[in-house]
Amino acid sequence: MSEPGNNDARPTDPVGRVLLTVTRLFALAGGLVLCAMALLTTVSVTGRRFFNAPVTGDFELIAIGTGVCVFAFLPYCHFKRENVLVDFFMSGAPDWAKSFFDAVGNLAYTLIIALMVWRMALGGIDLYHADEMTMVLEFTRWWTFPAAILCLVLLFVVCAYSFVRSVEEVRRA
Amino acid sequence: MTGLEYGAIGFAALLLLLALRIPIGISMLIVGMVGYVAISGVPALLNHLKTEMYWRFTTFDLSVVPMFVLMGQFAAKAGLSHALFRAANVWLGHHRGGIAMAAVGGCAGFGAISGSSLATAATMGQVALPELRRYNYAGSLATGALAAGGTLGILIPPSVVLIIYAIIVEANIATLFQAAFIPGILAALGYMATIAIVVRINPEAGPAGPRATGQEKWQALLDIWPVLVIFLLVMGGIYIGIFTPTEGAGVGVTGTFLIAITRGGMRWEGFVDALLGAATTTALIFLILLGAAMFNAFLGFSQLPFFAAEFFKNSGFSPMVVLLAMVVLFIMLGFVMDSLSMILLTVPIFWPIIALLDFGLQPEDLKLWFGIITLIVVEVGLITPPVGLNVFVINSMAKDVPMIETFKGVLPFLMSDALRVALIILFPVITLILPRLLVIE
Repeated sequence: MSEPGNNDARPTDPVGRVLLTVTRLFALAGGLVLCAMALLTTVSVTGRRFFNAPVTGDFELIAIGTGVCVFAFLPYCHFKRENVLVDFFMSGAPDWAKSFFDAVGNLAYTLIIALMVWRMALGGIDLYHADEMTMVLEFTRWWTFPAAILCLVLLFVVCAYSFVRSVEEVRRA
Repeated sequence: MTGLEYGAIGFAALLLLLALRIPIGISMLIVGMVGYVAISGVPALLNHLKTEMYWRFTTFDLSVVPMFVLMGQFAAKAGLSHALFRAANVWLGHHRGGIAMAAVGGCAGFGAISGSSLATAATMGQVALPELRRYNYAGSLATGALAAGGTLGILIPPSVVLIIYAIIVEANIATLFQAAFIPGILAALGYMATIAIVVRINPEAGPAGPRATGQEKWQALLDIWPVLVIFLLVMGGIYIGIFTPTEGAGVGVTGTFLIAITRGGMRWEGFVDALLGAATTTALIFLILLGAAMFNAFLGFSQLPFFAAEFFKNSGFSPMVVLLAMVVLFIMLGFVMDSLSMILLTVPIFWPIIALLDFGLQPEDLKLWFGIITLIVVEVGLITPPVGLNVFVINSMAKDVPMIETFKGVLPFLMSDALRVALIILFPVITLILPRLLVIE
C-alpha cells in the first residue's frame, strides 16, 4: 500500500521545483474544471427539477470535463509519488533494492507514456479527419486532444525525472 | 501456448511486479500490454492505444468518482466532524464506553457524506482522540474504535469502491447505494455493541463521561443540520431516484463547498488544498482503472475468466463453498493490498463465476448481494495487520499508543465484522430489502 506522510518533502533541485510548480498548476486547473462540472450539474438539476429547463447536453460536457481533469491530475500525482503500491513484501528490503525497483517502475511508466503520447496524437488526428462530434452538443471530439496530449507530455517529463531521481537514489544507497 | 496459459502467466507476472513495489496501475499496464501483444500482436495494441486513454477517462459513468472525491475533501474542511462527535457524545458519552461509541457514531455520520475511509478515520480521529484520552480510555480501545469506525466512511454510502464495483459488474450505482445502507448502519451498531462488550469485560478501558443536560442534547443535534441537509439532499435524492449519482455528487460538491466556506472557514489556501487532495486521489484511482482496463482486455482475450467460471460451474462445489473461498482470498489479499486494487483485480474474474452459480437469487439481486459482501470483506483489509492503513493513520495520531496495542484494540471489531458478513451471507434480505422498497425507475 502507499505510504502516506513521507511525500511532502519539497524538491531541492531546480528541475524538481519547476516540475512541482507546473504539475501543481495543471492539477489546480483540472480541479477548477471539476468544480465547474459540479456547478454545471447543480444548475442543470435545479433547472430540470424546478423550472423544467435543464442544461442541454450537460452529461456530454461532464464526460469531456472528466477526461480533461483526469489527464491534468496525473502528472501531479506521480510527481508526489502518491500512486498506490504494495509495500508489504519489500518492507524489509534494503533501500537500494527499493530504489532499484522504483527506477524499474518509473522507466516502464516513462516508456508507456511515451507510447501513449505517440498513439494518442495519431488517435486525435484520426478523429480530426473523421470530424467526430458528440451526439447532442455536436462538440468536436478532437478539441480536447491537444490538452490531453499536453498533460501526457508533462507526465512523460515527470516520469523521466522520477526515473533519474530513483537512479540517483540507487547510487546513493 | 493457449490463451489460458497466457492468462495464468500474466497473473503470476502481475503478482510478482506488485510484490516488487511497482505501483499497481503501472504493473497492470505493463502486464496488460505485454499480454495483449502476445495474444493479438503489436498492430492491434498500437491501434487500441490510439483512443484507449481518451475513452477510458472521457466517460459520464466515471464522472461520479472525482465528484464524490471532491465532495469528501470539502466535507473534511467543513468543520462538521467536531459537531458530529459532540452530537453523538452528549447522547452516549455518559454510558460506560460511551465516548468511544460516540466516536463510532461520529464516523457513521461523516461516512454518510464522505466516501473515503482514510478521510473519515483521520478527521474523526483528530476530534475524538483527545477526548477519549482525556477521559482515560485505554489506548487500545480508543485507537481500535476509531480505526474500525473509519471503515464506515466506505461502508456507508456514498462509497467510491462501490461505484467501481458497480461499473465492473454493470450494476446500477444508485441501487447499490441503497443496498449498502442497512449493512452500513448494522456495521455502526455492531461496532457500538462491540465497545459495550469490551467495557463490560474490562470496565477500566472505557470509563463513563459526564452527563449532558437535555438542552445541550438538542442543541448539539441542531448543530449537525448541515450534515443532515447534505445527506438527505444527496443520498436521499439518489435513493428515491430524484438524482442520478452524478447529479447527487454535483449537488453535494456545491453544498459541502458552501458549508466549508461559511462554517469551516475555508479560504483560498484550504480550497487549493482540497483541489490538490482531490486531484491526487482521482489520479491514483484512474491510473489503476486504466491499468485494470488494459489488464482485463488481455484477460478477456485469454478467456481465463470464462474458463474459470465454467470450471467452477461444472466442478460440483457447492456455491457457498466457492463464495467462502473467495471471502477468504479477499481477506488474505487485504493483508497486503488496498481495497480498490483488490476489487479491480478480482471482481472481473470472481463475478462471472458467481453469476453462473445458483444461490437462489435473481441475477440483479445477486449483483447487489455479492457487491455488499465484497465491499465489507475488502474493507476489513484496512484494519488488519500488517498494513491496515486506517490503523496507521489513527496510530500516528496517538503517539503514546504502541502499534501492537492498536491492532489488539481492533481485534474485537474484526469479530463484529465477521459476524456481520455471516449475517449478510445467510440473510440476503438485509441487503435486498431497501432496493425492493425504493424502486428507481
